[in-house]
Amino acid sequence: MKRAEKLLALILAVMMLLSLAACGGEPAAEEPADTAEEPAAQEEIIINFPCIWVGTDSKAAYLAQMVEEFNTENAGSIKVVIEEQTDYQAYRDKLRTLVTTGNIPDISIMDTTFDIKGFAESGKFMDLTPYLDEGWGDNFTEGCFDAWSVDGKVSILPFESAVFPICYNTEILKECGYDSFPETYDEMLQMFKDIKAKGYNAVGQMAGENAWTSMLWYSLIVEAIGGKDVYADGLSNPAFVEAAEVLKEMYNYTFDGAVSAGAADVNGHFLSRDTAIYLNGPWWISNFYKEENAVDGVGLNEIVDVARNPVYEGGKGDGTGVVTTVQGFLACAKQEDPAKEAAVVKFLQYISEPERVSQWALSSGAMFFIKYTPSPDTNEISQKFTEIANNSSYSVLHVNGAMPTAFSTEFPAALSALVLGQTDAQGFVDQLQTAIDNSV
Amino acid sequence: MKPTRSDRRALAAFMAPAVVLILLFFVIPVLYVAVVSLLKWNGITSPEFNALRNFSLLFKDKAFTRSIINNLIWALVAGGIQVPLAMLMAIILSRKPRGWKFFRTVYFFPQVISGIALAALWRSIYNADTGLLNGLLRAMGMGELACDWLGGLETAFPAVLIYWVFYVGYYMVIMMADITTIDSSYYDAATIDGATDFQQAIYITIPLIKNTSLLTCVTLASVLGLRQFEQVYMLTNGQPANTTSTIVLYLYKKLQDANYGMASASAAVLIVVGAIFIICIRRLFRERSAKISGLDTKGVL
Repeated sequence: MKRAEKLLALILAVMMLLSLAACGGEPAAEEPADTAEEPAAQEEIIINFPCIWVGTDSKAAYLAQMVEEFNTENAGSIKVVIEEQTDYQAYRDKLRTLVTTGNIPDISIMDTTFDIKGFAESGKFMDLTPYLDEGWGDNFTEGCFDAWSVDGKVSILPFESAVFPICYNTEILKECGYDSFPETYDEMLQMFKDIKAKGYNAVGQMAGENAWTSMLWYSLIVEAIGGKDVYADGLSNPAFVEAAEVLKEMYNYTFDGAVSAGAADVNGHFLSRDTAIYLNGPWWISNFYKEENAVDGVGLNEIVDVARNPVYEGGKGDGTGVVTTVQGFLACAKQEDPAKEAAVVKFLQYISEPERVSQWALSSGAMFFIKYTPSPDTNEISQKFTEIANNSSYSVLHVNGAMPTAFSTEFPAALSALVLGQTDAQGFVDQLQTAIDNSV
Repeated sequence: MKPTRSDRRALAAFMAPAVVLILLFFVIPVLYVAVVSLLKWNGITSPEFNALRNFSLLFKDKAFTRSIINNLIWALVAGGIQVPLAMLMAIILSRKPRGWKFFRTVYFFPQVISGIALAALWRSIYNADTGLLNGLLRAMGMGELACDWLGGLETAFPAVLIYWVFYVGYYMVIMMADITTIDSSYYDAATIDGATDFQQAIYITIPLIKNTSLLTCVTLASVLGLRQFEQVYMLTNGQPANTTSTIVLYLYKKLQDANYGMASASAAVLIVVGAIFIICIRRLFRERSAKISGLDTKGVL
């Protein structure tokens, strides 16, 4: 080989390695700005906020407005940068990776599929207790931190709440001879049978994706049978087996293909008015009011009513409980720079200010762990959700929220096995318990 | 000729980037996976040494053993059905029949569409209520065959597998490129000897591509079958009752549970299964090659 060729090869090899090294450098945004020309830019604190409340999410528009206003008010000193993530699962995956690799975003949104208490115990998140104690905590509903604080410290903030009353199509019920929603499970199951006999689907169920709707139904049945302390003994409470039997029966009254169905199927059937009963959180209420979901000029909101979870004969639930969850936690990375920590807290305080939250709730239908006066313009269905939440003597989390993450991961598999007769109710619960036992 | 010291330096310089890349992106991650597979770790708190307990739990878990079986079926179908189908198409189209360019484009077209988009499309086709497949069956008077394709214990895995088998364009193009390099004088001689198109394919084309593009395609298809994820994730998420689960999907679910030890253990098993599978393919082709060489010696020479 000629000397020049060897030299060229060596140069190319070095260049490749250098280009690799260059790829691994710090992101440009983190590098110091041109200090001579723009001293102000160097002082501006950038807050990264990977956010799921974007796109078609009902909370997106008002959040975007708040961020814009906040950035304008703090121009030159603080800038909140929203990183849009429209897919929940992709968002969760990204967040888990960031947390595990120690790159926790300045602000992020978590739900109960995360190990919230484990995260809180890790010490990698900002301790918000001093700020809450200074008066900010008074804005939050009583006791909302209790289940999530560690050693009296709050580092992951319960923010968006949800209750899960039953929504039903009054026209279908009337056609089937029901003027009001049944008050017991026996009556409700009889009604399901009558609705199915009339050619409608009584209830939407899904074992596909994360089996969300069926998980909510299971939670309601578990609460009705086991009462407020149903989670005290974990899955060993007999209520879980009995509830599984009821849930399996409900699959007789749902639409074809519910085993492989996802959320879009459940939503679609209710919107197309061939399914009588629907179960989801308050963030979905705005869909009842959308013109595109009206038929012959009749909006869905005009024919939808809301009911409490019925009483289960012999169950410990007395009909005054409510299934709830923390739909969204706000988590902040621990900051080395006190100025940045203050900036992050300032933004959190800004978006949790009761008047803003009131507007946010109005525009989105969502509910929050903030004490606010609901706007008089709040729609009727949202008001009914709030009434049910406020007039409940106790609340229990939905099963995904109350159990370790492994439960929610295994739930669709166990449910489809139950519904398809591959296992019985006890086997269903055992499968979930095994998944929990094998988790970390 | 023995390489000089100068040659060795040049060789080292040429190889250095590749070695560095392999170390960075393959050897180190594999070692990392091997280490984490022995730990109990949720990604936040300090890891604890867990010896082989993760592997023990894995093989007790029916979902995992089902995943391995599904992956092996997938790899076998890929190597045994998908690639032969692609080879058949490549042989036919390389004879340049009328419209061959059109068909080449049509067969290759699905390769430029994202697997996720294809899965979403097939999800709607398989939909029990509103899907095209059940609609067609009903329209043809075979409504009794309509079912929840992705929700049945017997139908879900075949449904996930079957649509994917027919996307042969990628392997077809690779083999077509190889076939075009075969000297046309072989075919001319065979034609003079009275060999049919079928005989030419069997005795000229296939033996000449067997150890090049055919082996490459079988290896690629099997490996892709072993690491199958997005189609299953999109279509069924491993359901019903984990009957469509694959190892990578299982691994992903363990990551969702922040169970990094078991996720890494399943990755380690996947690496071992993949290595065994590739060795088997290589051996199979080597033995077939030896047999055919023997036949050549006796029959032709």
